[in-house]
Amino acid sequence: MRQDYDVVIIGSGAAGGMAAYVLCKAGVKCLMLEAGPMADMQRHRSLKAVYDLPYRGFNKPGRFPHITQASEFDANLWIDEKANPYSYPENDPFYWVRIRMVGGKTLRWGRASWRLSNYEFKGKDHDGFGENWPLALEDLAPFYDRVEPLFRVSGRNEGWPQMPDGKIALDESRDSLSIQRFKAAAAKLGVPTTKPRRATGTLASSVNLLLPEALATGNLTIVPNAVVREIGVDPTTGVVNAVHFLDRRNKREYSVPAKVLMLGASTLESTRLLLNSRSRLFPNGLGNGSGVLGHYLFDQFYVKNTVVAIVPEARGGKGDRALMGGAGYIPRFRNLKGKEKDFIRGYAYDFGSGGTPNPELLPAYGDELMKMIDDLQGAAFSMTTMGEGLPRYENKVSIDPALKDDWGIPCLHIQQTYTENEFAMAKDAMETGAAACEGAGFEVLAKHWEMVPPGESIHEVGTCRMGADPKKSVLNGWNQAHEVKNLFVLDGSAFVSGGSQNPTLTILALTMRASEYLMDQKKKGQI
Amino acid sequence: MKRRTVFKSLMGATALAPAALAQAPPAADEVIKIELTAADAVADPRHKFFTPQQYATLVRLCDLLGPAYNGKPSAKQAEAPQFLDFLLARSPADRQVLYAQGLDQLDIDARLRWGRGFAALNDGEAGELLAPLRAKWTWKAPVEPLARFLREAKSDVLRATVNSKAYADAGTGSRRAAGMNTYWDVIE
Repeated sequence: MRQDYDVVIIGSGAAGGMAAYVLCKAGVKCLMLEAGPMADMQRHRSLKAVYDLPYRGFNKPGRFPHITQASEFDANLWIDEKANPYSYPENDPFYWVRIRMVGGKTLRWGRASWRLSNYEFKGKDHDGFGENWPLALEDLAPFYDRVEPLFRVSGRNEGWPQMPDGKIALDESRDSLSIQRFKAAAAKLGVPTTKPRRATGTLASSVNLLLPEALATGNLTIVPNAVVREIGVDPTTGVVNAVHFLDRRNKREYSVPAKVLMLGASTLESTRLLLNSRSRLFPNGLGNGSGVLGHYLFDQFYVKNTVVAIVPEARGGKGDRALMGGAGYIPRFRNLKGKEKDFIRGYAYDFGSGGTPNPELLPAYGDELMKMIDDLQGAAFSMTTMGEGLPRYENKVSIDPALKDDWGIPCLHIQQTYTENEFAMAKDAMETGAAACEGAGFEVLAKHWEMVPPGESIHEVGTCRMGADPKKSVLNGWNQAHEVKNLFVLDGSAFVSGGSQNPTLTILALTMRASEYLMDQKKKGQI
Repeated sequence: MKRRTVFKSLMGATALAPAALAQAPPAADEVIKIELTAADAVADPRHKFFTPQQYATLVRLCDLLGPAYNGKPSAKQAEAPQFLDFLLARSPADRQVLYAQGLDQLDIDARLRWGRGFAALNDGEAGELLAPLRAKWTWKAPVEPLARFLREAKSDVLRATVNSKAYADAGTGSRRAAGMNTYWDVIE
């Protein structure tokens, strides 16, 4: 006799992991389907010298056309792009960066953990663009309050409305002199600065912070290598009744009954699965009566190393720990009190002191270059911009009828471009960042405003958005499909707007909230 | 100690001292760590991609871009040219074309100006052809193919050098010098 599960969860990363954590601890029997294998941190990892790698650290040529983050050391962690293809318009590449493994992308996330503010939740009220979320910061704050300690987030509370305070461990570390100088120069330009806010610990992942506690309840069953092909629907009632999947390794097909489905396969995989789950009741994809599913794809544009500067006093090996080192963050500061610039919304920066500039930036070669590198060792200061991409209807994903993955599942066609609003923001970020560095007495070595291709930030969100109006959205304010009561979509696909903040903390908080709502609805007999 | 002496002493010790029984052949189920050696430590790699002329140009370019410095090996000592020949043989077509045409262009320009190939130019002459590397950096790669090639080659030669065993051996012996990092195996 097989176990009868109350909830099926698809995905084991931030969204799936948190759903299991909340539901299993409340006594709900959950089955988790994960498309990838489980990594054994002891057995699958070892220390190696770069010269011992087959390609001397260059990576196998052509292996990852879109995953710039993959190094030869961790190449086996990222998805195989050939087995898992997708398409995009010829001159508008989208870099879709994926990990299929128990823990998902929480195995590799950058850990920056900022709350969204009401500048995002109520963005339309502020500047008239797009849609508001069907919830406000006040609705999500109690969940952020619980997620932050769980993920051991550390940083500073500054009391700024665009950067809501959190339940975090306060970072009281002293700034190096170069950081102090930069902060003073930024303040003169009206640019606020703070410490980074990050999840801490050796590993801050679903696999160590969420799944073990869920498993300890005895209520969680995890099936790895389960590539979900389609969600089954009762043809009479229109509710989810099954999940159909294949074994990743031998392609054997399986079906499992589902009373409730919590979908957290990652932003675009979740939407792909819904678009591939067509039926008589939902001919355009599950829960897609509005026609909005797949639309309003957006991310944060990144300008890597917008500004690279030199701290002159650190030249010649004089950059000791008092002068150099440390990092910081600049939250959005544009258009907070109305439209101040030739763009709407805003951008943030990460900045850091220390390290040596990339030799590529130095206009020399040979002995001259070596001497320059010696002189600049540890003397660099750099800034990276993360800007808000606007959610637009025309940025979308759809099923590519000509493309299937290794398991015969139709693939996505992804279409996203940046527009003048993002370009204007990037230019402003470059000029403002350079001005702050110059104000601090740093020598600007290089500056630019060229964004990486859409998707490369790995902050793609939207395509299955929430909303109060079922004609303009797929999900209600509880991540529940308007048209399918027992379907919840938990990952970044639910986002209505994203600001310049990294999305993972918000995915975790939204999932915690949706999971508790589900239990409440079950108690009331609504599901 | 001569081999025969070593043999004798081992034999004697085995016969006389019970403690030396520890040196007997390992049990059938005991796993012994076997020392292995990388192929490039014992053999020369075969050239696969560049023509002899392109390869000679590449070697000279490596001389110029990656000289020995501060006790660290040069690109040539780090066998960067051999490695790049191997890497380019497996690279996507656009990169192969960039390298092949870039090396050809350097050689053609050298012959037109000085009547001999790039490999035979002195540092000053070669430096004139490498002028694009002294230009201010821009995010977008240069449009001019030779400048674009030189930018890639500069980066590749340095990386192939720094990531070599020779470079690690010349370092402090630290993990950082050897470029040690966590490697993920294939997970089936």
